[in-house]
Amino acid sequence: MHHHRNPIHCILPPHMLKQIAANGSETQKQMAVDTINSTTQLRADRLKMTEYRAAFAAQIIQSVSGGKERIVYDAQNGSSLPGTVIRKEGEPPVADVAVNEAYDGSGATYDLYKNIYNRNSIDNNGLRLDSTVHYQRNYDNAFWDGKQMVYGDGDGDLFNRFTIAIDVMGHELTHGVTQYEASLNYSQQPGALNESMSDVFGSLVKQYSLNQTATDADWLIGAGLLAAGVNGVALRSMKAPGTAYNDPVLGKDPQPAHMKDYVNTISDNGGVHINSGIPNHAFYLIATQMGGNAWDKAGQIWYVTLRDKLKATSNFQDCANLTYQTAADIFGAGSLEQQAVQKGWADVGLDATGSGGNTPPPPGCFGSLLKLIGAA
Amino acid sequence: MEAKRIKFERTGGFAGIRLAADIELDELPKAQVHQILKLLNDLDFDELPEQLSGGPQISDGFTYSITVVSETRQHTVTTSETAAPEKMSSMFEILTQIARQQARNKK
Repeated sequence: MHHHRNPIHCILPPHMLKQIAANGSETQKQMAVDTINSTTQLRADRLKMTEYRAAFAAQIIQSVSGGKERIVYDAQNGSSLPGTVIRKEGEPPVADVAVNEAYDGSGATYDLYKNIYNRNSIDNNGLRLDSTVHYQRNYDNAFWDGKQMVYGDGDGDLFNRFTIAIDVMGHELTHGVTQYEASLNYSQQPGALNESMSDVFGSLVKQYSLNQTATDADWLIGAGLLAAGVNGVALRSMKAPGTAYNDPVLGKDPQPAHMKDYVNTISDNGGVHINSGIPNHAFYLIATQMGGNAWDKAGQIWYVTLRDKLKATSNFQDCANLTYQTAADIFGAGSLEQQAVQKGWADVGLDATGSGGNTPPPPGCFGSLLKLIGAA
Repeated sequence: MEAKRIKFERTGGFAGIRLAADIELDELPKAQVHQILKLLNDLDFDELPEQLSGGPQISDGFTYSITVVSETRQHTVTTSETAAPEKMSSMFEILTQIARQQARNKK
């Protein structure tokens, strides 16, 4: 699939941003101001976790424009989005189970981000959570279209309705969070990281809603989604990538759990749903080693890394290095938490170090930036 | 040129599961062949670019690839689901159904 780069999501040096903010067109100015704001967010360096949370909470209070607000629409088996409004925030459950699941699932996702990470919705500014159910006929998929979540009913033979698993809704909504933060390119390793972030926070939404510890959690993505008769338990397993299903019609779960099994492919935007198994498994290893609730320490490290450190072009090695750095920022250099992060990545074949970080953007990105500011 | 064979592939999506089929049109029911040929004609398939672009960039969307083989030529069109024209969605629906059936028969 051809990838359309949005130059807004590329990273500009601060001097260039200021130049654009002062002299650019209205769109360019807004882009530059947004970028400056997002890169000058509060830094957590050397703060202990409790202090860190309090400071972060104080920081965002100013920007809150609304609370949890959800709308669930019905596409009535068509392709037009968003469709007909069925249930709005605060309204009681309706007869349609998919509508209620989309409502509850987006609510549970909002709650995890708000209660644990002090994030007010997808954009951290109270963006309304729109979901559409009954998209097309027999549609075996769910997606995030840049503005809203969309769910199919499944064909009933291989897949059930996609709202059946709460982590699927956490996954889709997290694509929105990633879009507003690291804006990871949706191809190759940055794309697999984008997918992994959605699986990580999707699973955390499920664990948080069930109040499970890392040890008790099933770490499955899409449990209940495969129809009766299909040989499988879910679509992905963060605990044991490659073991979620093995079925004559669907084939076998292709996810690797280690860099030595990395799958080079042009399909699926370079295997974004395949190689996500590697960072998924690293997160599982790290969270279980830390113990307790996975959203607490491991989730915090991942969230801050997604919000403040990852860039559009970040690869797995960058993510390993940056989560390692974030662990030191929050818990201290050499802390047990930082050691757990290092060990988790090492167990999937990546050596996390305090140095390095993001690899430079490719010429394509820089070229599109030059074009945006009229320099090329 | 009259299409003889269609190769179909769907990749990506939330599940990331590839679905593919190699379809000989003369092995399908007549009514279905008629439907497919009409859609190809309405789409002006032979004139479509190899890569369709446009539409919103979506996460977890499907990527489709359709290759139509006739006696004299073969033409492949690859597209995301949001870049595809409306009529192509009907084509995807039909070919997806056939591909699933083929996969089941191989069981």
